[in-house]
Amino acid sequence: MTNYLIRRVGQSALLLVLVTAIAFGLMRLAPGGPESVYALSPTMRAEDLARIRASFGLDQPLHIQYVKWATGMLTGDWGRSYRDSRPVRDVILDRVPATLELTITALAFAIVVGVTIGVLGALRPNSASDYLATIGAMVALSIPTFWFGLMVIFIFAEKLDWIPSGGRETLGAGFSLSDRLHHLVAPALVLGLVLVATWSRYTRATMLETIGQDYVRTARAKGVAERHVVWSHAFRNALGPLLTLAGIQLPFLFGGALVTESVFTWPGMGRLFVDSLGYRDYPVLMGVLVVTAILVIASNLLADFLVAFVDPRIRMR
Amino acid sequence: MIRHHDDLVRSVREVREGRLSRRAFLASAVAAGFALPMAEAFLSRSAAAASAASLALQGEPQKGGQVIVGLSQEPTVFNPLKSTLEVDRGVQFGVFDSLWRIDQDAVLIPNLATEIPSVENGGISEDGLTYTFKLRDDAKWHDGQPFTAADVVFSHNTIVNPDFVAGTTIGHDQVTEISAPDDRTVTMSLKEPYAPFLTVWADTYIVPEHILKDVEDLNTAEFNSTAPVGTGPFTFAERVAGDHITLQANPNYHGPGPYLDTVIFKYVPDLTVLFTQFKTGEVDVTGIQGITADNVAEAKTLPDKVLHGDPTSFVEFIYMNFGKPVFQDKAVREALYAAMDKDNIINTVYYGVHTPTESYLSTKSWAYNPDLAKQVFDIEAAKKILDDAGWAPGADGIREKDGVKLSFSNSTTAGNKVREQAQQYLQQTWKEAGVDMQINNMPAAVIWGDYYNKSEYDSVMIGFAHPPDPDGTSRFHSDYIPVNGGGGQNTMQYKNPDLDKLWDEGVVELDQNKRAEIYKEAQQILRDDLAYLPIFQYVMVEGTKAGLENYKQNAFVVSNMWNVFEWYWSQGG
Amino acid sequence: MSTSATATTTRLGDAVGELRRPRVESPWRRAARRFLRHRLATAGLIVSLLLILAALFAPALAPRDPLQISILDKFAAPMTKGFVLGADEVGRDLVSRLLYAGRISLLVGFAAMAVTIVVGTLIGLFAGFYGGRVDAVLMRFTDALLCFPTIFLLLVLAAFVGASLLSITLIIGLTSWMELARILRNQALTLRERDYVQAGRALGASNAWLIRRHMLPNTLGTIMVAATLNIANAVLAESYISYLGYGIQPPEASWGNMLNNAQSYFSTAPWIALFPGVLITLTVASFNFLGDGLRDALDPRARR
Repeated sequence: MTNYLIRRVGQSALLLVLVTAIAFGLMRLAPGGPESVYALSPTMRAEDLARIRASFGLDQPLHIQYVKWATGMLTGDWGRSYRDSRPVRDVILDRVPATLELTITALAFAIVVGVTIGVLGALRPNSASDYLATIGAMVALSIPTFWFGLMVIFIFAEKLDWIPSGGRETLGAGFSLSDRLHHLVAPALVLGLVLVATWSRYTRATMLETIGQDYVRTARAKGVAERHVVWSHAFRNALGPLLTLAGIQLPFLFGGALVTESVFTWPGMGRLFVDSLGYRDYPVLMGVLVVTAILVIASNLLADFLVAFVDPRIRMR
Repeated sequence: MIRHHDDLVRSVREVREGRLSRRAFLASAVAAGFALPMAEAFLSRSAAAASAASLALQGEPQKGGQVIVGLSQEPTVFNPLKSTLEVDRGVQFGVFDSLWRIDQDAVLIPNLATEIPSVENGGISEDGLTYTFKLRDDAKWHDGQPFTAADVVFSHNTIVNPDFVAGTTIGHDQVTEISAPDDRTVTMSLKEPYAPFLTVWADTYIVPEHILKDVEDLNTAEFNSTAPVGTGPFTFAERVAGDHITLQANPNYHGPGPYLDTVIFKYVPDLTVLFTQFKTGEVDVTGIQGITADNVAEAKTLPDKVLHGDPTSFVEFIYMNFGKPVFQDKAVREALYAAMDKDNIINTVYYGVHTPTESYLSTKSWAYNPDLAKQVFDIEAAKKILDDAGWAPGADGIREKDGVKLSFSNSTTAGNKVREQAQQYLQQTWKEAGVDMQINNMPAAVIWGDYYNKSEYDSVMIGFAHPPDPDGTSRFHSDYIPVNGGGGQNTMQYKNPDLDKLWDEGVVELDQNKRAEIYKEAQQILRDDLAYLPIFQYVMVEGTKAGLENYKQNAFVVSNMWNVFEWYWSQGG
Repeated sequence: MSTSATATTTRLGDAVGELRRPRVESPWRRAARRFLRHRLATAGLIVSLLLILAALFAPALAPRDPLQISILDKFAAPMTKGFVLGADEVGRDLVSRLLYAGRISLLVGFAAMAVTIVVGTLIGLFAGFYGGRVDAVLMRFTDALLCFPTIFLLLVLAAFVGASLLSITLIIGLTSWMELARILRNQALTLRERDYVQAGRALGASNAWLIRRHMLPNTLGTIMVAATLNIANAVLAESYISYLGYGIQPPEASWGNMLNNAQSYFSTAPWIALFPGVLITLTVASFNFLGDGLRDALDPRARR
């Protein structure tokens, strides 16, 4: 197993290099640069713009720029925002807690609800409730998140006034947990909805597969209590694929967060990305891309490790 | 009306451009201590005094409470020397002070200075070349250090420091020498008389020398974005990036004010959501971009809300790029103008909020020409103009002449929804006249970058605020075409020798009445030749929660936060 | 309608049938039977066909010109002034706009799917067939792209390249081929060890021939499923880009950009926001159900 883990870590490191190269390439191919922010100032002369370009290191050859930037990423110097000259690292780290708060809540909600629906569906496949759950899941997967979010705001914030129309807290009121939850519930549910669908579908499918396996039948034949069969035998074996799902779902989760944050004016990384795109703030955009990619790679790695512990079959390979 | 990022950038730039170009012509105004655009303000001075007196009668305003200002752009740069963008200025007005404020009647009111320099009080030399500023002795920085003349000198030196990316150096670049003979006095010498010098200082906010002098790179200092320290009525308490900024009342402020305990700037990117939050009371003030036209009617019906709606110096135009052959034909421009349904654009698309105009100048300007011919919407006339000029409809209904199709693109800021509707409506009426206009909208940072500045566009729909002075050299003079290396704003590449002559005359003329005549003639020429297609003059509608007192729209500053020090809640907020 | 549904499934089944060796029940018949038993998939098929037909015949069905602005009719409510579903913010007929928008949205959906399928199939099959270094390079690149949330890539590209029908289609297609490539690559890796491929190789068949003759037909089921699901994804992706303002530009309508304004008019004219969202959901769900059904029908391991 150690070999397997070492190999996975090595692959992840390689991925990281590729990911940074892609992010860098994308941004350097894009039109404009810091001067497109500063050029708007009427006092700028051509030589001032050249000086600004040089101060951002943009007068150097591309590969040098890449190496500088990539090593900077490693040492914590992520460059400076074109827009307000703050260190990109600070700009992004400011936003990480809000995004994590939202995504983790949504994911937790999705896992609890999704797994429950999935297991129940697998126990009674093709029943009326299973059928309903299948349709519900598919609709949830098909509904545009932003549109759903807007409907939620319209109905529950504007018409019924049950929830705030956006934001993370009531301003000027000081910190209170209930206030935070009040703001969190709608965006987390909206973001979580799609995930519930994925989780219930996956759980149902993998559970159906494991329930059909010999050891589950054997356990049943031996007279083990049904509840025990389901959770200890069948579900335990379905856990591996589900963990992997949690890992590979992360990019999707961040993507969903971007949209949800935009709709609910939630001050996270997704909104930062959208705002920075409008300002063509490339260092921040590159930073967000790389940070999300790192989180994705790391969580995939973590999921693989966990799977290796949970699922004995992996270890043998 | 500042509707979008591009507009505000434009406005800031224009105000500066206007201050920049004019030098000798206002010597008489210098003597009086005021720039000419403010001349009319003298008339209303007594009125201002009267209202101040009535305020005094009511006694000291009630203290306490908080105000939440909703902003659709996020303030990010708080160093007032670095950023002059509106959103940033709003916060800076709370944290920093200038030597004197400019109020809604264009009167200068002493703040960090004890008096407005003039020839009479010896603050300005007879030749207009030497200025002496007297400073107050009771102002303190938020960290408790005293404010001194050295801070003023430092602020000026920072602005003109070539290594510092200043928001603007205009006016400061006229100074040849500056010094502080003592802690309460600053003297400086100018290259030549410069009329708007005092207004430049009204918009120059003083930063602390003791904090910034040892900073290695002022461009990237913490001070700029996370820890600004000023002398202003409010201290910078907190910034949650992407969400809000909190200012707290400065208990040691030299006064008057502040009366509020807390001012919160809340970033709400979507104007509709912002309006919703205004309705529900989640924000108290709709800052910067106000209430969009489509919501004004509803806003008027809201209980417990006060609307403020003053005309601005913003005019909405269609700019045509004269570098494109199709626009060089005057018949085309005339036909386009005739086929513009202004009435429906203003009354239906913009809900009648704005007012039609034919000039580049605000109706408030002393040089405004009210006698320009009114545009008349008449598609048949447009067709006839084009027929007569030899533009014949092709097989697809699009007119052409000598192999050139009457087809071009129009661009504006993507996401400015009401404007996009006006654009689409224009597209339709023009099409009826046989003109093919394609819409090619882009995000603000793209369209108002090279695409605009290097005249890459066919035509744009643009809101433009002319500076208080009517001079239009940088906008319309043929020497000020950026793509030809001219450092101006004439991206339309408009060239008209008659007009160039008028601009040149206007700058050196000292008599305001004569100048007014010159600019009236210029407006006439621009209208006749249709250098641009004017649509309407913006009216800025802003909303405040009832009970918030002293909110004053001020056309002479970029943000109506300018007097946040004197805001208060009449009913305890 | 049910006849045409059957006919289409039969044709799909035909194609699949050729791929597999005949058994007692011919495989295409079995696939069709499985598919039709899947009621939701059948419903999905019918609805998507209806939507496609509506888009195709939009000019005939639309009561008005979708671009005709009638400023005095702005925000006309449904069933007033002759607007069945109401009018939008500049008085354009919503029914007509929805029909024409459907053309654009579905066109983007199908075209982007084609790009996805071509790129995904090429990369997947090449990687799997050649294995070794080719495989390593292609798959690492694929993995790296999979690390980015698709919406991030979509937005960056859309913002930089500029919005047009073509660019949006390409961008969606080029950011969604990765998963298909991975699946096909795994299948191809298995396939190339099969006897008949080895035999073909021993007989001197060219690689191109082997890919065309063996790899492609044997992965066709997977590709068809992916194609269906990708239409759904592309329609959804278009709506996201347009909502965030980087998509199809006005006055051209897509369901996505009709929703771009949705937020502004929820309180004044909710129908403007309601119908495009419903149509997107309906379209995406139909193609998803269809894809699910196809997967169940074509997957020999599926036990239902």
